[in-house]
Amino acid sequence: MPDISVTTSNHNNALVIQGLCKHFVGLRALDGVSLTLSRGEILGLIGPNGSGKTTLINVVTGLLPATSGHVFVDGLEITNKKPYQIAHAGLARTFQTIRLFRELTVLENVEVAAVSFGLSRLQARKRALEVLEEIGIVRWAEMRAGALPYGLERRVEVARALATQPKFLFLDEPAAGLNEEESEELLQTLMSIPERKNLGMLIVEHDMHLIMRLCHRLHVLNYGKTIGEGAPEEVRRIPAVVQAYLGKSAAGG
Amino acid sequence: MNLADRLKSFSTPLTLATGVLLVAVLTELLGISLLVRIVTVMFVSMILVLGLQLFMGNSGILSFAHIGFMGIGAYTSVLFSMTPTAKELSNANLYPFLIPIHLPFLPSVLMGALLATFVAAVISYPLMRLSDAAAVITTFALLVIIHVVLVHWDRVTNGPRTLFGVDYYTTLWTSVVFCVITIFAVYLFKESRVGLRLRATRDDAYAAASIGINMVMMRWIAFIASAFIAGVGGALWAHFITSFSPYSFYLTETFVVLAMLVIGGPYSVSGAVVGALIVTAAREILRAIENYVNILQVFPQGFFGFTEVILAIVLILILVFRPSGILGSREISWPRFVRKQKATGDLDQPSAGVQGGSHV
Repeated sequence: MPDISVTTSNHNNALVIQGLCKHFVGLRALDGVSLTLSRGEILGLIGPNGSGKTTLINVVTGLLPATSGHVFVDGLEITNKKPYQIAHAGLARTFQTIRLFRELTVLENVEVAAVSFGLSRLQARKRALEVLEEIGIVRWAEMRAGALPYGLERRVEVARALATQPKFLFLDEPAAGLNEEESEELLQTLMSIPERKNLGMLIVEHDMHLIMRLCHRLHVLNYGKTIGEGAPEEVRRIPAVVQAYLGKSAAGG
Repeated sequence: MNLADRLKSFSTPLTLATGVLLVAVLTELLGISLLVRIVTVMFVSMILVLGLQLFMGNSGILSFAHIGFMGIGAYTSVLFSMTPTAKELSNANLYPFLIPIHLPFLPSVLMGALLATFVAAVISYPLMRLSDAAAVITTFALLVIIHVVLVHWDRVTNGPRTLFGVDYYTTLWTSVVFCVITIFAVYLFKESRVGLRLRATRDDAYAAASIGINMVMMRWIAFIASAFIAGVGGALWAHFITSFSPYSFYLTETFVVLAMLVIGGPYSVSGAVVGALIVTAAREILRAIENYVNILQVFPQGFFGFTEVILAIVLILILVFRPSGILGSREISWPRFVRKQKATGDLDQPSAGVQGGSHV
């Protein structure tokens, strides 16, 4: 297992998670996870079902209280702050099960994120239209979000998160339920975001094809513990990872 | 934005205000004094329904406390507007320091609204983090508390007894002017930065938090604004009815105002206006039928409660078959309904002119 040292990274320009634990009754959903996410980087968080990926996102974004451990954004501790405060610290996310403001239009869904960061409605509308253009859904701006087809809902979530101009963006299974074509379009959209926006992106995804092409680095969880970390090619060769994760498909196939 | 765009974005309140003015002019022209009374009460009710819509429509939380704030507005305003002589005649127990206070009508209304606002601001903050059933029950508890205070604080309210001797100030046109102002205020709130964020929390609290929205704060601001409008409505009502007791601000009134909002559609300003109109009309028609049946003596024991029962049944039917009311989340707008595209909506024809940047 590679040495997961956070001391060498630049704390003032990174999201740092140190020894994060989340214990439910009788279950250690997260058991001392440490990782660092730098600006401009795409980190893939992978692992079998129930390995703690979504729990990690929920604890870091404040939806669940951490049992122990620390989270820093650019050197500022955000552990156990309220979700809306963590958002203002520069951390945005999307949800595994889509959560849109269904009675608002697509434009308003994105606009409200910018409004929440202090913009007037006119400025927010301008920023929202820019983001919708980038994500390629500006055509649907005036549609009620609740009436959108599934594939587009995912994109609205990404657009809404981007409208807060986050330093770090967490995507929880953005390709779930998308067909191959939509998945490919999403990949193209996501790929350029971190560099252009100077943000660090953490992505949880089961589509290994997408993960391998998109991510600069992978972090593998199993039973709430880190079992591997490194470049996609390296991680593939770590025996524990092969056994826990990739091994399943190898054995099964 | 050019003038046409500005007018377009105010299309809904302008249309609603025009409708209100039309009703008022018609009433004035007909000149039937009973109709004038009914329509005046309707406009005051409309103000109350609009105030409730401001909180309930944007936050998605049912509030029972509203009529309590109406009561605070009513009692406070009359304590400022009544003459010292009238006060001494009406309430022998009144605190002596309250007797000499005497203000004109409009400042009195303002004082009533401000006290309602103040009480709402102080007591509601901790309640704003509650949702669903817990929120509804606590607002109901608030209504009960305010009611108990009004009933027992006889040195201010004359206790459970009727307070009389209030001067008549609220004419048809007073109520119309306040109603039109309220329509614009509530619409502007809905489209304000706070209103938009609050509507986001209504649709999904987790997603709203994830983009940095402080839900408790947004709800609190709306609750306070809503109490201000309820206070204004109470003050206007008091100066129309001129004698009332704490029982005027309890369950019956709560039921009527809630029925108006739920039937019209709690998620739009238009729903509040339409609901007040429809329910008032329906009540008056039902009441006429009830009276007629009583005069004809169809039932030897008399025929009572028909109006309330039918209204309750309509309310239940609406909740079952059209839970978001007659208008749902639509707003009436000149020259037609503005419909947000529905699920059956056409993906092939996305709305044009999006890049223009000035559209609602």
